[in-house]
Amino acid sequence: MNTSMHAGPCADYEHEIVELSEGSLAPEKARAVRLHVAACARCRAWQSAFAELDAGLGQALPRPALSADFAARLESRLASLARSNGRSDLRASVEDEYRLTLETLRRGTRSNAVVGAMTVAGICTAGLLLVRGVAPEAAPLLAAFAGPGRDAALVILGTIVAIGTLAWSVSRGFLPALRLGA
Amino acid sequence: MDGGIEQHLAAGQHARAFDLVVPAYQDRVFRLAYSILKDRAAAEDAAQETFVRVWKALPGFDGRAALGTWIYAITRNTCLMELRRRRPTVSFDDPDSDEAYRAAIGIATEPAEDPERDNLLRMVDALPRTQQQAVRLFYLEDRSYEAVAEQLGMPLGTVKNLLHRARKRLMELARPSEVKAA
Repeated sequence: MNTSMHAGPCADYEHEIVELSEGSLAPEKARAVRLHVAACARCRAWQSAFAELDAGLGQALPRPALSADFAARLESRLASLARSNGRSDLRASVEDEYRLTLETLRRGTRSNAVVGAMTVAGICTAGLLLVRGVAPEAAPLLAAFAGPGRDAALVILGTIVAIGTLAWSVSRGFLPALRLGA
Repeated sequence: MDGGIEQHLAAGQHARAFDLVVPAYQDRVFRLAYSILKDRAAAEDAAQETFVRVWKALPGFDGRAALGTWIYAITRNTCLMELRRRRPTVSFDDPDSDEAYRAAIGIATEPAEDPERDNLLRMVDALPRTQQQAVRLFYLEDRSYEAVAEQLGMPLGTVKNLLHRARKRLMELARPSEVKAA
């Protein structure tokens, strides 16, 4: 037990004195600490200094409060954000619709290009076969294909026309280009 | 208090949940921000920003942490961002760096009216950052260790220890000869 006024509390009681001041000690422990403090000048001085500091801090530290219009300002800010988000959502929706429309048009154009190419190839082949069957003598062009290779030449010619049409479609972006390799 | 909020969240009614979150947490969020920023206007701005972030993120809140823990973490992050914005040179790699923190919070203090009070406030300002926050928050929260622990995201024992060291240091500063434990 200490008697000097110029030193701190007994180490064993330092925390207990704080808890005693705050009322958080169990009754039995609190009674023991009170008995000690009553008999120990240093602990008594420390308890008094702690109580003074505690009260001083309680009074000195600012206790600011929120502005009365805090909630109203927050609500206004959130409403503004919600409107802004709404505009963003609308714009995104319009852009999505535009993209979808373009994609649909493009898909239609691709189909048209394929059908067109097949039609052209078919017409060319049918035309050549018609000329051959109905009036072979009227087509000077067929004279160049006389002989056993004539049918093969007609098929090759039709294929070249079809491939040319497809290549033109690809070059115009109506059909996706083939990606070879990585 | 969070029961109604959690029910709305579980039902996916985020707007209704948010309507309850603001009145339930606005004062504590503001006090936590004030304990970090030490400036009423800045703390109010940080509280506004915190609730905007909560509003945006609430649909993604998964309930793994308590709602309060989550909101206070957002508040602390918002305040640290504010401190970083004020002084970009402050290093947050070492958040307990007192020099960095004091540099970061070098903002206007209230005018001196009572020299004794002013001296006490200056002593609080001289404490390490985490001790300052704990002291300010403890007295703002009517001496509740639990509230301080929850808001600062620290274990209760850590908060008690922080506060004990802080107040002992303040007593040493105020009465150097009477405080050291035997």
